[in-house]
Amino acid sequence: MGKFQGKVVLVTGASRGIGASIARAFAAEEASVVVNYLQNKEAAEQVVASCLKLGGDAWAIQADVTSESAVQELIERVLLEMGKIDVVVNNAFTPYAFNPDERKLAWELKWEDYQNQIDGALRSTHYMCQTVLPFMKKQSQGSIINMISNLVERPIVPYHEYNTAKAALQGYSRNLAAELGPFGIRVNCVAPGLVYPTSASKYTKEEVKEMIIAQTPLRRIALPEDVAGPVLFLASDWSKFMTGQTLFVDGGFVM
Amino acid sequence: MNQQQEIVQHVFRFIQADASEEKDFNELALRLYAYQYQYNLPYRSFCMQKGKTPRMVKTWKDIPPVPINAFKDATLSCIGPEKAEAVFMTSGTTKGIKGKHYHPTLQIYDQSMTLNFKKRFMRDIEHIRMGILFPKEKELPNSSLAHYLALAVKEFGTKESHYLVNENGVDMNRLLDELHHAEETGEPYALLGASYSFVHMLEELERMGKTFSLPKGSRILDTGGFKNQSKELELNEFYLLLSTTLGVERSECINMYGVTELSTQFYDKGNESVPSVKSGPHWIRTRVINPLTGEEVPKGERGVLVHCDLGNFNSVTTILTEDVGIELENGFFLLGRVQGTEAKGCSIAVEEFLKSASKGVSE
Amino acid sequence: MRELAGYLPDIGETEFETKILTFQSKNETVEVEIPFLTTEQMDKVIEKVKKASAETLKSFSISEIVSIIDQAIDRLLDRDSLYRQKAEKLLPIVTGYDEEIIRLGLTSYLKTFRKKELQRFLIEDLGNPLLLDDFQPRVKGGFSKAMGPNVVTHIWSGNVPALPFWSLISGLLVKAGNIGKVPSTEPLFSGWFAHLLVEVEPRLADCLAVVWWKGGDEERESSIFEQSDVVVGYGGNESLQSLQNRMPVTTRFLPFGHKISFGVVSQASLDSRKTWQSVHQAALDVIRYDQQGCYSPHIFYVQHGGKVSPKEFARFLANELENFQKRHPRRELSMEESASMAAWRQREEMTIFSNPNNEVLGNQANDWTVVYEENNIHFTPSSLNRVIKVIAFETIEDILPYIAPHRSLLQTVGIAANPNELFEWAELLGKTGVTRITALGSMTSPEAGWHHDGRFNLLDLVNMVDIEAAAEESSEQFAPYVD
Repeated sequence: MGKFQGKVVLVTGASRGIGASIARAFAAEEASVVVNYLQNKEAAEQVVASCLKLGGDAWAIQADVTSESAVQELIERVLLEMGKIDVVVNNAFTPYAFNPDERKLAWELKWEDYQNQIDGALRSTHYMCQTVLPFMKKQSQGSIINMISNLVERPIVPYHEYNTAKAALQGYSRNLAAELGPFGIRVNCVAPGLVYPTSASKYTKEEVKEMIIAQTPLRRIALPEDVAGPVLFLASDWSKFMTGQTLFVDGGFVM
Repeated sequence: MNQQQEIVQHVFRFIQADASEEKDFNELALRLYAYQYQYNLPYRSFCMQKGKTPRMVKTWKDIPPVPINAFKDATLSCIGPEKAEAVFMTSGTTKGIKGKHYHPTLQIYDQSMTLNFKKRFMRDIEHIRMGILFPKEKELPNSSLAHYLALAVKEFGTKESHYLVNENGVDMNRLLDELHHAEETGEPYALLGASYSFVHMLEELERMGKTFSLPKGSRILDTGGFKNQSKELELNEFYLLLSTTLGVERSECINMYGVTELSTQFYDKGNESVPSVKSGPHWIRTRVINPLTGEEVPKGERGVLVHCDLGNFNSVTTILTEDVGIELENGFFLLGRVQGTEAKGCSIAVEEFLKSASKGVSE
Repeated sequence: MRELAGYLPDIGETEFETKILTFQSKNETVEVEIPFLTTEQMDKVIEKVKKASAETLKSFSISEIVSIIDQAIDRLLDRDSLYRQKAEKLLPIVTGYDEEIIRLGLTSYLKTFRKKELQRFLIEDLGNPLLLDDFQPRVKGGFSKAMGPNVVTHIWSGNVPALPFWSLISGLLVKAGNIGKVPSTEPLFSGWFAHLLVEVEPRLADCLAVVWWKGGDEERESSIFEQSDVVVGYGGNESLQSLQNRMPVTTRFLPFGHKISFGVVSQASLDSRKTWQSVHQAALDVIRYDQQGCYSPHIFYVQHGGKVSPKEFARFLANELENFQKRHPRRELSMEESASMAAWRQREEMTIFSNPNNEVLGNQANDWTVVYEENNIHFTPSSLNRVIKVIAFETIEDILPYIAPHRSLLQTVGIAANPNELFEWAELLGKTGVTRITALGSMTSPEAGWHHDGRFNLLDLVNMVDIEAAAEESSEQFAPYVD
């Protein structure tokens, strides 16, 4: 029996990259996975197909998670179809090109740049959490996992607006964890280092990768599937006494 | 053809087949589940509460069982109750509220009953002269047992079959005539009815000092237990008395286990030893569960019975009984009803509260 | 493992028939062997106790008796003492309750029988404890003395450990000989206590007996009641009724029937900071002895209007019960209890259809259940074993009409409210028949000197003997020193 048999898991931004890899990992443990996507229906359907093949159930739903009404509609549909939500993985974020050579310098940033990233990381997560909370409280359980970045701890490349937004998300998660603990709801973060290949990291130069590898004890760069393990762990009963934590998945780059 | 007719057709074909594969049983059970989830609204909210939408239910074992008591509280039907051809009600002792089971058509109930009855009770013969120790269907229009017995007489009784109870209980004169007639002619005879009526009959016969030796091929079917309507006999004593008083082998004393909330019955292969092994036809399956977790107990351990009856196409297929049993290779032991519990300390238990509330002890 | 239960005075016999009661927990079995006396032996025991009570017990002063009980309780509070160790080891097996719950429960309960609490107990009921020793002057004139009966028979019931201590200690305080009948569900603790008392004061050896017979043994009970001055009975109304039917009119019968208790939570306690405290205390009341006590809550009525809604309160409570399940797991339930609990919960789940605002909260293993109800105030008991209802209300007056019809069953109300509300509500609840009001978290530990079911623990046992002023005055004229 799969570890997540009978569990409903919602992964935002799951049509590709890390999100897709997380969705597949849950499916392999027989979860019923909601594959949320914004634009790429075809890619999402492919993720669904591979989830089914792996032995889980999966369902692709389009929704812009930065829209409050879209999130509410998404959750309503999930509850009607699946009756409950056990795990939410807030993985979607506003597109960002991780290009250390082209990134904006501190004095070039406008508030809108920050706002844009904060909307993508924090606002979307807030909408999602507000919407699922009543149901998770009713279930007296639930696990929320927010994807952040190891850059919040060590900004080896100061992607100001991105790192700041993710750092805000970490703070948000800790506060949420403190308030929701008495309801049996856990909130944790997973902070990957540079993950390759993903669409966001496709412009990252080899030189930068080499630099990171050289400073990473496990001497390579994370693959999307490396991230899934800690996410599944935080979603499972194995971590039932952990909340407000951040797991770094970067080969020991941050410690 | 509307959806209900399609469902009925599907169930009909399923029952008509000789046996069923797990796969086919599952398929129909899940189809019925989706249908009932859609149209039986109280059931739907019950299932949603448990997070068991049709999408999340992958096998018949996942279908949320409805506690038998819920038939008292809610209208569990996919059609408006006024459209039902028949409504069977429980005898309802607590507070006079009766559980109601709605049948849009009796086609499936009757098909289920006759096929199963023929196989388990009639076996080698087509017809038999019957005596019925239970009121007629006319008198108890909401009794599933009255309907069951009427159907038995109609389909399998010879035209000389009789009802042997009147307003005063067992019609002893009539009964004695029938028993004598059977003894004299050597024509096999079948007595069917409520277990407690048999007890009354046995008491009367004992008082009269009469015993019989019914011809070979004669048989007995009792059902329903004693329900406080007669002396509570130990099962062993009951069948011993039946057998010695009427001269019918204990192996020919069949006990039928059925409840108003189902459309299908279980039978044993006689009661040479008790408890007997009960089993049902291929369209009903039974699980023995730990009532706390809902999970099956290991084979051989005591648990509570859950039945999934595909004949229940309109209400809910899967019900949680209050009967304790043990799963066996070829059926299950029925060990009787779960007894009420008293509080262990000095707090009041629900039953005592109800009792004192109804007696007005608590002013 | 085998343990001898009960306590017998010396009746010159050593051969007794015994009955073995077997208790089983997950991995241990205890066989409890308890004497099962013949009617003749029982008569001898009663005779002996009666005599010792009159000749020995009545000669002790009340402060001596208090000191004996205090020393015995002191030993039971000492976790290294023999009987305390037995209790901690065997009672979890016998009753099924969590070891920690028993350990903590015993300490908090036994504490209420220390010397200072006993003194409070005495003064509470009698005003002047010396009434038990000697004729004391009364304000109205004349003198009175509280005379204890010769023999009090206690019919204990239920498996909440040490509960029989209330009536046994009350009996001792009024200098009565005591015959206690232990329940089959917890036959050990009162016997140990009897042994302990005798170890502390050997002269008490014949003043008490702890025995067992099968409840409802009419002949035996009638004979014992005939020989008792007072019978204190615990149990359901049905069994109490049957005891009463056999009670001679000359024997005083003090029945303590099963009771129902509940909590009332004011919106005043439901702010962001204090809610959890209330919830935590409420959960403790639920898990202690799995609600089997008469003071255990069946329902919490929670007021609308606080920062935290009644619905949120229910959800907080749910997770608190889940946490306690890990810390102090519930007793293993029998098949019957499991089935009735499952049926109860599923039936509640079925009602969500007609009451969509209700919630049934619980975990997969059914370790606990919280049912939240809105717009539907009622008063029905829980199926116990950590099953609790949270019912939302607006004003206390909304609740009262539903409680009032059950006057004779009401006992404790746990309250979280501000001082004004506390007294206002106490007045209203008292009128409906409630006899004890306490804080959430204290429901299962009544304080020393409480009025059990509203009655006097000691006064109900004694007879007051009055020397009227007239007698006193008249005696003066016959005095040898009269001038």
